[in-house]
Formats: sequence, C-alpha cells, structure tokens
Amino acid sequence: MTILRLIVSRTLLSVLTLLLVSVIIFLILEALPGDVATRILGRDATAKALEVLRSQLHLDQPALSRYLHWLVDLLRGNLGVSLATGRPVADVLGPRIVNTLLLSLLAFVIYLVLAIVPAIIQATHRGGIIDNAISVLTLLLLSLPDFLLATILLFTFAVAVPILPALATVSEASSWQDTLRAIILPAVTLAIMMAVYAIRVLRDSLIEVLRSDYVRLAELKGLGAYAVLWRHALPNAIVPALNVTALNLGFLIGGVVIVERVFSYPGFGTLLIDALQLRDIPLIKATVMISAVVYIAANLVADICAILLQPRLRAGQ
Amino acid sequence: MKSLMEVRDLGIAYGREGGWIDVVEGVSFDIERGETFGLVGESGCGKSTVAYRLLGYGIGNNTVRTGQILFEGSDLLKVNSRALTRLRGNRIAFVPQNPTTALSPGMRVGSQIREMIAKHRALPDGSTIESRIVELFALVGLPDVSRRYPHELSGGQQQRVTIAMAVACNPDLLVLDEPTTGLDVTTQRQIIQLLQDLKNRIGMAMLYVTHDLALLAQIADRVGVMYAGQLVEVASCDKLLSNPAHPYSRGLIASIPTMEHSTARSRGLRGLLRRDQIPAGCKFEPRCDFATAACRSTAQSLVAVGERHSVACMHWSDINARDARQTEKPNTTIPARPDSKPESVLSVDDLTLSYTKPDILSRIFSTARPPVARNISFDLLPGEVMALVGESGSGKSTIARAISGRLPPQSGSVKLDGKLLQPTLKLRPPEQLRQIQYIFQNPDASLNPRRTIRAILERPLIHFGIEAEPTTLETALENVGLHAAYLDRFPEQLSGGERQRIAIARALLVNPKILICDEILSALDVSVQAKIIELLKALKQQHSVSMLFISHDLAVVRQLADRVAVLYRGELMQVEDADALLNSPLHPYTEMLLHAAPDLRKDNYEPSVPAMPESRSTGNKGCPLAGRCPRQIGTICGDSPPPLQATSGGFIRCHISTRQLATQTFRQHRDRSQI
Repeated sequence: MTILRLIVSRTLLSVLTLLLVSVIIFLILEALPGDVATRILGRDATAKALEVLRSQLHLDQPALSRYLHWLVDLLRGNLGVSLATGRPVADVLGPRIVNTLLLSLLAFVIYLVLAIVPAIIQATHRGGIIDNAISVLTLLLLSLPDFLLATILLFTFAVAVPILPALATVSEASSWQDTLRAIILPAVTLAIMMAVYAIRVLRDSLIEVLRSDYVRLAELKGLGAYAVLWRHALPNAIVPALNVTALNLGFLIGGVVIVERVFSYPGFGTLLIDALQLRDIPLIKATVMISAVVYIAANLVADICAILLQPRLRAGQ
Repeated sequence: MKSLMEVRDLGIAYGREGGWIDVVEGVSFDIERGETFGLVGESGCGKSTVAYRLLGYGIGNNTVRTGQILFEGSDLLKVNSRALTRLRGNRIAFVPQNPTTALSPGMRVGSQIREMIAKHRALPDGSTIESRIVELFALVGLPDVSRRYPHELSGGQQQRVTIAMAVACNPDLLVLDEPTTGLDVTTQRQIIQLLQDLKNRIGMAMLYVTHDLALLAQIADRVGVMYAGQLVEVASCDKLLSNPAHPYSRGLIASIPTMEHSTARSRGLRGLLRRDQIPAGCKFEPRCDFATAACRSTAQSLVAVGERHSVACMHWSDINARDARQTEKPNTTIPARPDSKPESVLSVDDLTLSYTKPDILSRIFSTARPPVARNISFDLLPGEVMALVGESGSGKSTIARAISGRLPPQSGSVKLDGKLLQPTLKLRPPEQLRQIQYIFQNPDASLNPRRTIRAILERPLIHFGIEAEPTTLETALENVGLHAAYLDRFPEQLSGGERQRIAIARALLVNPKILICDEILSALDVSVQAKIIELLKALKQQHSVSMLFISHDLAVVRQLADRVAVLYRGELMQVEDADALLNSPLHPYTEMLLHAAPDLRKDNYEPSVPAMPESRSTGNKGCPLAGRCPRQIGTICGDSPPPLQATSGGFIRCHISTRQLATQTFRQHRDRSQI
C-alpha cells in the first residue's frame, strides 16, 4: 500500500517537473533573437506576406495564450508542423526516434554488462593488478571526450581493421543484420562513456557491501561465492549505481547527438542539430520536450527500482 | 571419547609493513559434544579472531601461522573451500553480534532461512520447507515472520531469527560472537534462556564469545580467559568465578560492577593493554600486581593446576596463598546527605517530546504518532547524580536532547536555577549553554580526529571567552588522570577510555553546573569502565557538578547514582533514591529490570510472566506497561493512567498501592537472599 502511494507521489512530482520544463523551453525559445516569419520567407518578403504568416502561426497573439495553445496541442499529441519541411513534426520525428531508440537500447544492454562485470572483478580482486589496471583504464576513458572516443573506435574498427562499417547509414530497407552491424560502433561508444563512471561507483559500493556483516553471515551460512555475490551483495551494492545510471541516461540523450553526428546515423540527435540550425521552432520544442520526458522518466524508474531493492525505504523513513 | 572440536597451538597474525603482528598466540582448548565453552576477554584480545577461525573464516587479512583446528579429527585449516562451505551453517553454525546489520536488508527473513536449508539439503523427512521454517520460528519463540523484512522486526526478534537460522540444519557446534551485546537487559536474558533451552533440546555444543562474564556465568560450562592473544586461564565456569587463579582473571572479575556491592570488593585492573609495551615474558606483567623480575623474561603457558583447570602464571599458587591471608577492608565512606532540602539546579516540568510535528493531514485522521516522551517531571539537586534508566527506545536520550536544547519540547519547560531555559540551542545565551555540558556515548565520533587534544580542549574556552591560565589545560587533564604529554596527541593515538576521559575533561573545563552523560560507558571495556566510574565519583565530590547519567546498566548505576529515574516507553514509572530503589524496587517494571540484570553466578533467571498479556494500554491512555506487567490487576491498568504515589524518596506511577507492592516484593527479596 505504502509502496503504491510512494510511486504515485513520485509520478505526480515528475509530471509537475515536466510542466515546469515546458515553461522553460517555451520561454527560452521566446527569448531567441530574430523573427520566425522573416526566417521562413527570407529577407525579401513583403510586409503583407509576413503579416499573413504571423497570424497563421499565431505569432501575433500574446505569449501566454501561445503557450497554452502549444501545451494543449502537445497533450493532444499534435506536435505542430515543421517549419523547414512543412511536414507534421510527428512524421519527421517518428522514424528518427525509432532509430535512436534502437541505438540506445543496444547501448544500454552493453552498458549493463560493461558496468557490472568489471566492477565485480575489481571488487573481488581488490588491490590486485586487475583492479588497478581497470581503475587506470576507467580514469583514462573518463577524461576522454566522447567524440574522440567515437573517432578512435571508428578508426580502429572501420579503417585499420575494417570489420565494421564506418558510416551507420540505415534505412527502412536495411536487413536487421546490416542495421545491427551499422549501430554496433556507436552503441559501444555510448556504452563505454556511460559505463566508466558507473564502474567506479559500483566498485566502491560493492567493496563496502562485501565487507558488511550480512555478507559475512551469508558466507558463514555456507553459501557459495556465487550465491553470496548475486543474492546478498549485488542487490544492495547496485543502489548507488542506479542513480548514476539515471544520470547516465541523461547523458545518453546528449551523447547520441554527438555520436550520431560522428557516425552519420539518422537518429534523433542529428535531427535536433538540424532543427537548431534551421531554427525550426516546433521541431526544437518537440525534440527537447521528448528529451526531458525520457530524462525524467529514467529518474522515476531509478527511484522506483531503489525503493523495490530496499524494503527499508518503503517504510517511508 | 574424542572432543568435538580441538584447537591446538593456534597462532594468527596479520601482515603489516615490516612484518607480522601476532594477534593470537599458542591458543589451545577443546570443546566436548554438548558443552558450552565461553571465551572471555577485553576488546582486542583476539577472542573473535579465534571464534571465526573455528568456521575456517579469517577476518580481514590475517593468516594462521601455527596450529590446528580439529573438527571431529579433521583439520579445518587444511580442508579446501568447497568442504568448508559444506561444514559452515550445516555442522558449525554462526550467530552474529549485531543482527540488525547481519541480516540481508533486502531479503525476507524466511527466504534467508530457506536458502540455508536448501543449500545444505537439511530438510527433515516428511516436512516441507515452509513448515520447517515455521517450526524453527516456533522453536525460538517467534510467530511466523517469514514474510517480514529484517527492519520490520525488533532487535530481539532479529536475533531470534539469526538463532533460528543457525540451528536450521541441526549443527553440532554453534559459534556465538557477542550475541546479546546490543540488546536490552530483559531481551538479553530471554536470548540466553532461549540458547540454554535449545542446547538442552538439540544437544549442540557452543562457543560463546563475550566480554561479559556475568552473562557467561549463566550459560557456560567452561570458560577460557584471553589476554593479548593468549589464553591465560581455562577453568570451569563456577571455579573461575569463585576462585580465579590468574591475576588477570582476578582483576577482570573484580572490575565488574555488581548489583550486590555498591563499593568494589577488591582492586580492579590497573593500566591498559599496550601492544607496543609487551615484554618477552608474561604479557600481563606490566599490569600485574604480583609480577617479579622473572615474569618479565619467562614466557608463560597454560599448566594444569587441577581437574580441567589450567593457568598460565608461574606464581598462581603463591598468589592464592597470599590472598587467603589478606582480609580486605571494604571502603565504607557513605557521603552524608544534607538534611535540609536544597534548591534544585535543574527542574524539568511536564515535558512532552516528539520528533515529528503533527501536520494537518495526520491531525485530521488522528494518525499522529504518540510523543516519544510524555509528562516528564523531575528535579536535579546540586552535586547529585541522577540516573536515567530504561530499555532502548524508552526516551532516555530524547529527554537529554531536550534538556541540552537540541530538541524543542512540544510542551512543558526546563528550568536552570529557577530560570526558564529557551527551547532551542540558538535561542539560549552562551552562559546557559556553558552551564549544561554533554558527553556522548562514542568518543571516537565526538572528538574531531584532525585536531590535537590541545585544540580540542581550547575550543570551549575560546568559545565561551573563559580566561585560561597556562596550566589550565594541564590541570584539566590531571583531573581526569592523564598527563600533559597528551596535549599534543591526536584522538586516534588514544585508547577508547582515554578518549572518553578527554571528552569528560572538555566538558568540565567550562565549569558547568550540569553534566549530561549519555551512555558514556557502554563502548568501553569493564576494566576501563571501572576506572571512569572512579573518576566520575571523584569529580562529583571535587567539582560539585550535578550529573544526569543515562545508562542501561543497573550495576553501574548502583555504583554512581544518588537517585534513579526509571523510564518505560517515554513515561516516568518511578523516581527514587538509588539505594532504596535497588533494594526494594516497588514498581513492577523496576523489579523486572533488576531481576534481569545478571549476577556473577548462575542465578536461574526466570522471566516474569505477564499477568494479562491481552490487556494492553488503549490509545496511550493507560499504563504503558499494561499487557507486559507481571502484576497487572485488571483492565483498569490499560484503561486509565496510573496514579502518582509519593514514596520516601520520590514517586511511583502504578495502580497498585505502594504498601501492597512492598509486601509482595518482600517475598521475592527473601527468595533471592536464600540462594
């Protein structure tokens, strides 16, 4: 009962946050210099034509009414019409989101493996050569900018040892094998960038937990090393890493923008850059809103996982 | 017949830069089938290190250097890890010190027992795993709590769960590492009783590790006394307690505050164990009253001196003879109490305390939690030590917080010298802050590790703008029995007892009227405890400072307190002069507490049975003890608040008249003195 209440209250809080985000997005875009109508029609447009376009886009109305208009449309699922292409934003966004979702999903799966396995190896071989080697490696990767890592991977696996395609160009016609081959390099890049910090957090919390009384008792109960690790140590050690993972998903959104650019992947990130360059405001609003939804949802999920893993939190303490 | 467990010449060391440091040396003992062997000693003596090794487990990075651990003839130090996991839990089981941290927090307690039974395939024929778990819970006196998480159980219940788990596979040997240390006196006794009961029913052997000889007296058949990693004496429990042979055993026993004597019978231990000053010969030599030059250079090992009694001391027979001639005169200076009643220095009036402010929602649905403490009133006289006793969660520290200004009361007032104290620290003027000083339970946490002792002691002087002479700090250290060289040390270079002395010195430096001591002895070893008690007694006379002494240990209270206030679930049950209270407790709850405190001999404790377990206090209106009280007279106890009855030195809150209570206690008192 209490757990349901907790989840409901967190969800309501998340919705409230999103509403706030929508206000901020609207205000920022409002503050951008330049006139949208001029931008669309060009400098040579007549005053009359500009007037007509402005009233078409409701630009002549006060800001508050435009905001509410936008919000209501948003809730109805109407994202507006892209200024640059004239197509509905939903149609432009749809396939790109699917592509990015595919990439993120693969990156996330690789991330889980990349974060958990080295952390376990480090925590169980604390102070050894492997532990130190992984620590140095994670620190190195942590200080590497993501586009550089992407470029290094690209050079290594597509140029020096050409086993994977350099350009991640996919279309609806590509077979799933080709798609997988195309997105593996960007996915690995993203996964590494996310994992390096999580490894460090998980290693430290795992070491802490392995020293705890309940792990010792589990060992003294005669449980095997595997059972002690997976049943008693990891579920408790993973909680601090969950928050990092939620933050990482935020990074993932930023990361896809850069990584997709490097690999020329037709995803959400490249679309966002294009939208910004063309000042395609309905498209920008929609993409930024979607990023915010993803980010807040990720944090909500992490919170709920933490509550589920730690029954003590459910008591509402 | 062969012993179940034989430890032979066990030597354990841990590696450090520049070599090995021995933590356990030449330890040998046997445990027979069905026998309870106690291992006792002060912190750091290596007793837990030995205990864990009986399960083939090493704490930290220590390594076995010599010896054998023979379990049914096979050496646990030589078997592989696979064989060890088959033994652990199954044949040799473990009960941890702190069940709150030892149970997996995210796992239901039933599953934690289930995985153990499943791992060792220890399900008796004809029962399902569910029925077996319920059976185990019943065995330790719990209802079916298998669906509960550890945090939903009380400390005592958690410890019952770990015991149920430990006996799940019917082990031959149970290793217990201080299993009752964190528990209340009454719970402690219930657990000891449970263990005894299990031992009789299942017939397992036990290794019981503790620092508490009085508890060991209740359960152990034989006891090994450890000092600095060595066994110095092994004897039957009765013999050790009645006639200890080794000087360390004698000192240890003498240091234990007991309920019977308010003044120490003989000298406790002097000095401290210092690992850097251990001589080549007897390790106890620097602290031994009977040491000779030969002791310094001659290493001592256990020598049989009687039937199943061995001692590691070359002078044990001389000491025994000398002791017989010596007749010690007990120190019987009872400080005369002034006849006229002086003005109280602190008066607490009708205090009600709560940690949560009731918000509107909980007020509407009347779901607000009851306050942590209710209707607390007492006075503290100048130079008086008032003990505040009660089980954990009874509100002792909460009251201390309110007096010191760290918790604004919901209602009621605290007066210092007749002047009303502001509810919060921020509102109190410095002068008032200076008058009340607080000493915390754990000196490790209350002293800044990055400051020298000098800086720590100077801080309050500077803060309160007190003029200090050059010798002020040195005198302050002298007052607590430390010399000036300590000023330039850091807290981590001091032992726990020394740190607590620093905390006391710091509190006294600003010349307070009231010292609040919050369980200041519970983190310390008995020999150190005894010295701090002596120190506090001396300080009380020199500085005429009043103390509010919070403790769960009634034996310590007897040594120090003038008056005692007994708390139960946030309500004062009784306030009384210490002697009167301890001799004839009157209040049923006080009686329960006194009854549960272990003596230094087997006292055949039987728990008090609630008279009316179903009749609890309704809506916090009645007596909080209703439902648990062994003398409950009817539903009136749960329905209406117990009336306040004046006694010779204070009051009690009870529905039974004091006269009736007094005559009933008399019977029990007589029974006790006949033992």
